[in-house]
Amino acid sequence: MGRRRQRVDPAAGARAGALPEAIAALSRSLPSGPSPEIFRRAKFDRPEATSALWQLLFRVLSPLPVGNALASLALEAQAHLVKSALCSQGYPRLALAQLPEDGSQGSRELLLALSWLLARGPVPEQMLAQARVPLGDEMTVCQCEALASPGPPAPHMEAEGPVDVRRVQWLMGKLQFRWRQLVSSQQEQCALLSKIHLYTRGCHSDQSLGHLSVTEAEMLRDPEGGQQASGAGVAQNLDPAYPKCLHSSCTPGMGPRTFWNDLWLVCEQPGLLPGDAAPLDPGGASACSLLSPLRALLQTLERENQRLEAVLAWRHTELVFWRWMDTVLGTCAPEVPAAASQPTFLPWVPERGGGELELVVRELQALEEELREAVERRRAAWEAKAGGCGRGPEWSAARRASREAVEKELGALQQCWKQDSGPARPHGPHRLVRREDGAAGERDLRAAEVIRTLRSQEACLEAVLRRLQGQCRQELARLVGALPGLIWIPPPGR
Amino acid sequence: MLPADCSRRLVAELQGALDACAQRQLQLEQSLRVCRRLLQAWEPTGTWALKPPPGPETNEEDPLPACTPSPQDLKELEFLTQALEKAVRVRRGITKAGERDKAPSLKSRSIVTSPGTTASAPPQSRGQAGQAGGHASDTRPTKGLRQTAVPAKGHAERRLLSVGDRTRVGMGARAPRPGAGLRDQQMAPSAAPQAPEAFTLKEKGHLLRLPAAFRKAASQNSRPISPAGITMFLCGSWGTPCVHPSLWAQLGSTQTSDSMDATAAKTQFLQNMQTASGVPQPRLSAAEVEAEAGRLRKACSLLRLRMREELSAAPMDWMQEYRCLLTLEGLQAMVGQCLHRLQELRAAVVVQPPRPCPVEGPPRASPSCRGGAEPAWSPQLLVYSSTQELQTLAALQLRVAMLDQQIHLEKVLMAELLPLVSTAQPQGPPWLALCRAAHSLLCEGGARVLTILRDEPAV
Repeated sequence: MGRRRQRVDPAAGARAGALPEAIAALSRSLPSGPSPEIFRRAKFDRPEATSALWQLLFRVLSPLPVGNALASLALEAQAHLVKSALCSQGYPRLALAQLPEDGSQGSRELLLALSWLLARGPVPEQMLAQARVPLGDEMTVCQCEALASPGPPAPHMEAEGPVDVRRVQWLMGKLQFRWRQLVSSQQEQCALLSKIHLYTRGCHSDQSLGHLSVTEAEMLRDPEGGQQASGAGVAQNLDPAYPKCLHSSCTPGMGPRTFWNDLWLVCEQPGLLPGDAAPLDPGGASACSLLSPLRALLQTLERENQRLEAVLAWRHTELVFWRWMDTVLGTCAPEVPAAASQPTFLPWVPERGGGELELVVRELQALEEELREAVERRRAAWEAKAGGCGRGPEWSAARRASREAVEKELGALQQCWKQDSGPARPHGPHRLVRREDGAAGERDLRAAEVIRTLRSQEACLEAVLRRLQGQCRQELARLVGALPGLIWIPPPGR
Repeated sequence: MLPADCSRRLVAELQGALDACAQRQLQLEQSLRVCRRLLQAWEPTGTWALKPPPGPETNEEDPLPACTPSPQDLKELEFLTQALEKAVRVRRGITKAGERDKAPSLKSRSIVTSPGTTASAPPQSRGQAGQAGGHASDTRPTKGLRQTAVPAKGHAERRLLSVGDRTRVGMGARAPRPGAGLRDQQMAPSAAPQAPEAFTLKEKGHLLRLPAAFRKAASQNSRPISPAGITMFLCGSWGTPCVHPSLWAQLGSTQTSDSMDATAAKTQFLQNMQTASGVPQPRLSAAEVEAEAGRLRKACSLLRLRMREELSAAPMDWMQEYRCLLTLEGLQAMVGQCLHRLQELRAAVVVQPPRPCPVEGPPRASPSCRGGAEPAWSPQLLVYSSTQELQTLAALQLRVAMLDQQIHLEKVLMAELLPLVSTAQPQGPPWLALCRAAHSLLCEGGARVLTILRDEPAV
């Protein structure tokens, strides 16, 4: 399984057959990767390789799995987005930004860009993880996706006219109500999930899991997809996207991520939709779109396994590829940095923290002000007091000792933010497993710990909210308090 | 009335939040539907019974013809059925008398036992007990069932095992009553003609088996490491245990033990790219800038905290006072450094207003989470031990998400409403109404409203 060339002998780096093998593994491991021929043509900067590489880069750089809707974007649009994404990642070469977007030239530059991305991070693994088939009931523990709240308002909102503030109040109340509804539905779903796990104990072939997940149980209940409740939305028995759809609707830890899962599976099922010619699919796509959920799930799993094997093969043979890329780079002329023009980047995704830098600057400046005042005061007081003290040797020794101690303390403080965010918090979706004894392996999470973390997070956030509300209260009191003839009666306390 | 642009922003934000909630609610409801359906009685569909299992999954079982079997077979099955019913009766006599027999009498034949196999007895009685409302205890009835091969080739197995695994006889219990088409001339019309073989997950859940092909593919794909630290799964049909790391696990191990040469080659390549482009220092990516800004924000709060501590501490003697002074000066210097760094960052970044892009608002994994820990490719488990725990967990997650949203809305409202209140001329009821609404929204989360009394001087 690709273990043949584990440690490539540097002396025999360009062994015949090693390079094509490596490139073949690479193209198999990427979703609809271009054929090895494309790579070779790109080295010689042939124009016919360009559009395939643009599309591949688009898929790699897109923040979410590319569905049909996105794949059908015109080549120019894709190329443009690729450029801005690369720019925002700090891609060094300027030639890429200057390439025409119609796919007529520049395949060598694109090949270099692809290699740059591959060198920076585990790209095939990440893409595989993105498109993974989840077999269990997944719950996302870390909040990084939950934090990405729906950013700017949806474009379909028409500009409404001036609105009464009571409408705002009403919307707020509606929002509170919806949250309450959400909580109660969530509780019910957890209870049902727990029951299902309990009842199917003992039947999973994998002892460490011990019970079926909802996806698996549903697949058993209805392997042919012949029986679907009418209210289930999409005609699931006929929809080859059923397995993934089922999964995403079952996850208790829902959030924006599962929504995009839905989008993905509805738009893209290479090999499951009729007439799709996925070059990667050696087994051949089933031309029939009426796949039972079981078959669909099996196919997706098998395809994932194939890609996994390709990635493993790539990892074992990639050294040869890097040697080759060095030669490709050598054939390009060295660039002259454009004088004084910082490449501008247009963020692909409208970033929520656009003014983040400004906020931090302001905070720090305020802090600086406070500190300056405090230091002046203290320094003046100190000079007044200690001016009269002697300047003996023990005095200066004491001063030096103090200075060193303070430096050490402050150095430790600096470490607190210098190093990257603390202990590795496990993130990504976790499969829910019910065990009476709660035993868990070293990499697994226990619910009790997660609950503790969440409680502390909750406390933090509540404190922040209360602080903000307190600020508002003070501000409003200041604004309206001066008016005579009015009595402000606060609402009854909690 | 609020001015137009302010209204637009507020309504848009709130509407966005409402939409997000609605989305989640929809997903939850779909999920609830599926779960509820799973917990109800599982109806067999007519389509299963006679269809021979398709394709490669038939390697373990001879595909039985869809046509009616010979009368000889039918007779044998009939004998078998009678023997089983008798066995069941005997068993039931041993277990609690007075156990309720549910209407579909087929439930009594639920467990396949070959008459002589005692190993299967416990599962059967447990199966019976299951009907009375308890659920299976922890011992694995599966082993017992696996021994029995009796009507193993029954069509009914395929109800759940569409790949026709011959060893899984849990549901093959129905074999004496294979698909209706086979024996309708001999079968008494069952009480529920549509569902002669219905059962609930509660009773029979522990007897289900996943199809073999699926198990194979899934275990090859990913097997979580059991607490014992050994990954085992049953490959093949009869449980030849083999220790074999799954593909995802292999991926994880190659990540950590990456070939030194490959890593060195990659670094070299990146450096070459950098020098070839003429810019010696790599430019910062947007993600890095954001991460840096986050770190500096954290620095700011830590420094402020430290400053407060120092200022509030009352120095005892001149030594302590001196240290306090030094600390404050040190803090001041650090703040200066941070500001300097920020200016550098600002200069390195030129941000233009984003173009409307075809992909709106997809969630982006925040850099702190993605870059930090080594990505764990193998699936990780989240282990819970009771329903309450799971519910608490989910409720807390929702609460944290809700608080986050509330804080965001609070900031937006502050930015929009406070200026309005301060700039509006204090005249008349509209402004008072605005104040009242602003107070309610900003200070009480919209839940409570204060009262304003006009205090007219009498006469």
